[in-house]
Amino acid sequence: MATVLARPDVSWVEATAELDDHQAGALRRILNLSRQLTGDWSGMLSDTVMGESYGAFRFQLAYMSYALGLAHAHRLPAAPGVFHKPFDNLIQKMLLPDVWAYWSNVSTGGGAVNHPMGKLEQRWDPIAEDNIMYSAYVQSMALMYHYLFRDDKYSKEGSLTLRLETHTWNDGGYCFPYDEKSVNEAVYWQMAEKGFLGVACEPGCIFQICNQPNILGFRFHDLIYGTNFAQPAMEGYKNAWERFGLVDDAGDFQVVYLTFTDDVLNVASAKLNFWLMTLLHSWYPEIVEKNYATICERYIVDGPDGTKWIRPKKTIDNLGDAKLTAADMGWAVCTASELGDQAMLDAIFRYADRYQNPVWENGAYYYKRQDEKFNEDGLFIGMDPHTGNALTTYARLNVKDGLKKLFDGPWDDAHFSEPALVGLPDFVDVRRALFSNQHNALALTLGALPDTKSIRLEVRAPAHNGVPVLVRDGEIVEKGVSRLEDLLVIDLDLHEKTTLVLQW
Amino acid sequence: MNGRPVADFALVDHHGRSVRAEDLRGRYLLVYFGFTHCKVVCPRSLSKLSHILDMLGAAATEIAPLYITVDPQRDTPAVMKTYLETSYPRFLGLTGSAEAVLEAKSAFRVFAERKADPAEPDGYVVPHSAMAYLMNPDGNYCAHFLDSEDEEVVRDRILGAVNQATVVSAGER
Repeated sequence: MATVLARPDVSWVEATAELDDHQAGALRRILNLSRQLTGDWSGMLSDTVMGESYGAFRFQLAYMSYALGLAHAHRLPAAPGVFHKPFDNLIQKMLLPDVWAYWSNVSTGGGAVNHPMGKLEQRWDPIAEDNIMYSAYVQSMALMYHYLFRDDKYSKEGSLTLRLETHTWNDGGYCFPYDEKSVNEAVYWQMAEKGFLGVACEPGCIFQICNQPNILGFRFHDLIYGTNFAQPAMEGYKNAWERFGLVDDAGDFQVVYLTFTDDVLNVASAKLNFWLMTLLHSWYPEIVEKNYATICERYIVDGPDGTKWIRPKKTIDNLGDAKLTAADMGWAVCTASELGDQAMLDAIFRYADRYQNPVWENGAYYYKRQDEKFNEDGLFIGMDPHTGNALTTYARLNVKDGLKKLFDGPWDDAHFSEPALVGLPDFVDVRRALFSNQHNALALTLGALPDTKSIRLEVRAPAHNGVPVLVRDGEIVEKGVSRLEDLLVIDLDLHEKTTLVLQW
Repeated sequence: MNGRPVADFALVDHHGRSVRAEDLRGRYLLVYFGFTHCKVVCPRSLSKLSHILDMLGAAATEIAPLYITVDPQRDTPAVMKTYLETSYPRFLGLTGSAEAVLEAKSAFRVFAERKADPAEPDGYVVPHSAMAYLMNPDGNYCAHFLDSEDEEVVRDRILGAVNQATVVSAGER
């Protein structure tokens, strides 16, 4: 006599959050870019590849990786399979000389701010000294990856090697071997040597904002290895900046300390305020929350029909309008996401959706580069790849206190022993992925596909847990799950949006 | 390429004897940088570290506590001898030429910068890191401790480092 399986009650699943179309589209944008072949930067190119601007590859890669981390931690915690390889791809791209060789130029000085230092010796190693605008991202990305996926790939000696192979000059090129621990210490001890005020970006210029990712990285190092890097850095940073105040008399966050004048220089920039607030909120939320409303009021203006926008401003006078970007708005919407200011977030996205070149492309929703800066009504319509690929996707995928919660951690052993989706085809969108301890069930919602496709899902689940019942859109699927050692395998045809529940 | 501090110095101790880092190999070093005119940070840190050394009991015999000045202009061997023997007798003071002190600071990745301060008798102070370094018997970095850390935590971390090395050493035998 056949056994009749009792249908489990899975109605609780519908009460849990899932990605909406725009969020799924934003995630798809990052996944698509992460899978481009080495050296294919299409969709990420701005007006120059010289790597000096705030929209350089490193910033796009870093904030896309942070967005993946936030989306995994808060939106799809039971779907490491969606994020693991793409996150790794972004780290690998970060190691390419296309991303870091700019340092050989920038290290020589003569910039708009640091020209009083004169001509400096050229340096190639982008991590050993200064250039925190690169090193802190390599450090924090590798350590966030280790923490989120419990993958120690970058702990191994030489696993973060920066290699530039040349054929026509310099005897074959350059090679700088690092790993997540050596990068972490290289950054930490430079910071310590400066009394924790920070590490310089271009020589002589210690930016507040560029010394936030490293603190995030220290924290992940501590969570992984049980060390104590973050606390001294945070404590020392607060003490060191006390001399100037983190916020200046006009109410803007301080921008940069110049070693050659022993003083700060501020430029009253919306972008730099919001960028700093987005990251600083992870470990010093009080000061961000105290200043957020005032800074919003100062820079954000009302647009038509309930929209909000920021008129971009040149931070350096001799740059032309071509350098105006949407990053002021991009960082404002990131800060709004972190602080849970939904009204602000919606209003800025309404503006972007109306004026700033939104596109659906290969399943991705993003804002495509648009070089025209203002429309006939004087509204800013420009879009740059950094904002269109990284900042807007970050803001869509983040949750209130998202970076702060990630910083606070920790994901413990229990999290990593829970069943989770670890394998799926690249073209499948995951809208929901959570394991409920209360219901002892894994819920997965998969997005619709244009045509029916046979797909295979792989779920991490220890063998001693047994084989669960599979419920698909409320109906039990007999023999829907098979076991392959520590993995459960689910084969199914997918076309319409589908919710699967694995019920133990 | 990790930029860690290393024990590398050639200085003069508060008895006037030349001391190189190599001379101290075989013992752990507990190193603190400061200056004797420091009104708040150094007295607090040195008192605390002295107490932690007391708490370590017999293990303290394996550790050489060093106080390296960041103000060689004023901190002569005699000044350091008086300062340390009066209040912090566990510590051996080290000073030297400005260049030698700079090299020691650089080796330990220490922050210290002279700042003008008209309120001070000589018109300056030297703000510095409030951090102690534990170096192993080979002169390599083991750990560092903030002034704000609990004494028990620091004691346990020092004991952990020393005991771990003892276990490894015993295993090798």
